[in-house]
Amino acid sequence: MKRLLLMLTAGAALWSAACGGGNGIAVPPPPVGKYTLANLNGQYAFVTNGESFTGVNAVALARTGSFTADGMGNITTGIEDVNAAGAPSLALQISGGNYTVNADGRGTLTLNVVSGGVASPINFGITLTSSNDGLMIDETSTSAQSSTGSGNFIKQNSGSFAIASIAGPYVFDFSGQDGFSPSGPESIVGEFTASGGPITTGVEDVNDNGVFTTAAAVSGSFSADGVNLSTLPGFGRGIAQLNGVQYAFYIVDASRVRLLNISGGAMLSGDAVAQSNTAPANVSSISSSFVFIVAGSSGNGGITRVGRFTANGATVTNVLVDTNNSGQFIKTNTTNNTSISLDAANLGRGTITFTDPNFAAAPFKFVFYLSSATQGVIQETTTNGNNAVDVADGSIAAQTGSPFTSSNITGTYALNWSGLSLQNNGSFSVHDEEDLLSQVVVTSLGLSGAADIFQFQNGVPVFDLVTSGAITISGDGTSSTASNRNTMSVKLVKSNSTTVNFVVYFVNPQLAFFANNQDSHRTVAGILKAQQ
Amino acid sequence: MATTRSKTGIFVIGITFALCISASAQETKLPDAQQLHSYSVSRESFLLGTVVKFESASSTLPMGAHLVLQTSSGPIDVHLGDAKVLRAGHLELNPGDSVRIVGEPLALGDSTYFAARIVQKGAQAVAVRNTRGFLTTPASLMSPADKEALRGVR
Repeated sequence: MKRLLLMLTAGAALWSAACGGGNGIAVPPPPVGKYTLANLNGQYAFVTNGESFTGVNAVALARTGSFTADGMGNITTGIEDVNAAGAPSLALQISGGNYTVNADGRGTLTLNVVSGGVASPINFGITLTSSNDGLMIDETSTSAQSSTGSGNFIKQNSGSFAIASIAGPYVFDFSGQDGFSPSGPESIVGEFTASGGPITTGVEDVNDNGVFTTAAAVSGSFSADGVNLSTLPGFGRGIAQLNGVQYAFYIVDASRVRLLNISGGAMLSGDAVAQSNTAPANVSSISSSFVFIVAGSSGNGGITRVGRFTANGATVTNVLVDTNNSGQFIKTNTTNNTSISLDAANLGRGTITFTDPNFAAAPFKFVFYLSSATQGVIQETTTNGNNAVDVADGSIAAQTGSPFTSSNITGTYALNWSGLSLQNNGSFSVHDEEDLLSQVVVTSLGLSGAADIFQFQNGVPVFDLVTSGAITISGDGTSSTASNRNTMSVKLVKSNSTTVNFVVYFVNPQLAFFANNQDSHRTVAGILKAQQ
Repeated sequence: MATTRSKTGIFVIGITFALCISASAQETKLPDAQQLHSYSVSRESFLLGTVVKFESASSTLPMGAHLVLQTSSGPIDVHLGDAKVLRAGHLELNPGDSVRIVGEPLALGDSTYFAARIVQKGAQAVAVRNTRGFLTTPASLMSPADKEALRGVR
């Protein structure tokens, strides 16, 4: 889940108290479900994006790596690359570790990472969404390191651990911080075609700290790491060059490669996803509703936008957007000045525009790259007075499977959000990173389950909060009617409780994007994903 | 006013604060909010005044640190961004402090507020936004040695 980009009156003290144990501490019921240790078995490529504190300052942190689980609770091997505020640590060995999986798919993952010759653990909360993938949050709180962040892991196919496997067209989205000082936010979306090493063609759109580069050429290559040759056959790891910037990459399979910037002082990461021949070549072939979510930074602070539109050829209707601009909530319902177009020269690349009548001087603009008829990445390009209003990107997906009702929004789901919230570590109140990972059972649109949360100013995560809530669906659930929104509330209880309210857009019955639409001290966004 | 900027993003002011307070605050009527959804360094002005109130996490929008500054034009709410940046820059703001704020009005929804880019107290200044108006992070105040130490992060 792309971060981002993103007020809890109950601050850190609430959660600190909650993990203290003793009377009055709510405890989730015993987990129920089908998962066991055996469901995490094999090699998995993982990513997280968040924050780290090592004694000087809290800094942005991104990592990409590979771990091997034995299906019996042990991590046997692995490797990771880390980028902390532009300072990379390459090919760190994972010497071992362990994991747990509860029946509901929730569990823990500990990776013993060797750095400077010393092994030290990093800890994660995990929720399996299948035997092939899952969501995770960083819950490391040791004497050596405190870090948080959200991410995911996907099973790797070792048969694809060769440069020759990276072949054909791919769509990518990298986001994070640029390499300048002081650094600024950066987003790069685009597509390239690889051919057994070299990138033969490509195009990208960049928003670097508010400076746009549009439809620029992409060149580069994928190769084995000359310093760590064995990491390619062992972990699918290698080194990529994209427009002069170096990335560590991990092959999931021929359809997906995960990349982390390791040069130039920048901190960018993201996935490249194979583009299928179903990506539309002409706007006349588009006839679908789409849901999108972007997160990032505006001049006000963190920003999230989640919304939907219907495209029928070049006609765009039923545009709804919910914005949280650093605590300011804006509902957009518009049919004004809408348009969508595809780039004839670059398959899958397109733009969409529309205008919120309340913000006529800053009409919404986005560029997107579709990897198929139903999936893609999207970057906001809205300007006001020739300056970018934000740096934000994320996902776009065709909306299918409606009407959404209690009949098909049902079963077990993993739930993850990330962003900023009000936290108070003693006398210092501050807005800091918040990551939550949960598993919920959805029955009659009611939620019940358990969650972990890490409000970073606290320094320690809080485990096993009792989670409940409700989803409300308006109309057929596509929110195609202006003024109607689907909503979701999530109540978290330990020794105290708080409720976070969201607007939610269903992509299909198995997936939804959401962002909080109340509480001006919080800017978070996330996904609800069905367990398989 | 001559300023020099260090690699760490901390601004060191070359002349005395006394010169600053001889100028009057530039805060005047705010422009149309429709034009203020992005930061433009060409619109920057500065405020001079006395801190009335500082909150590291204010309930006033946008999210982040705010101070109420008493200027010759009256009290003005100033958004300072991430309080962790001020803390990393060892810049404490207390009622009664004389400060200089470089920034400009920005829109939030259909209202406006004063967005600080540089906060200066005495000879010390901290950049809380970059020149494109995006909030800086504590990492921007780290020394090269501190950044090098991040290579140990797992």
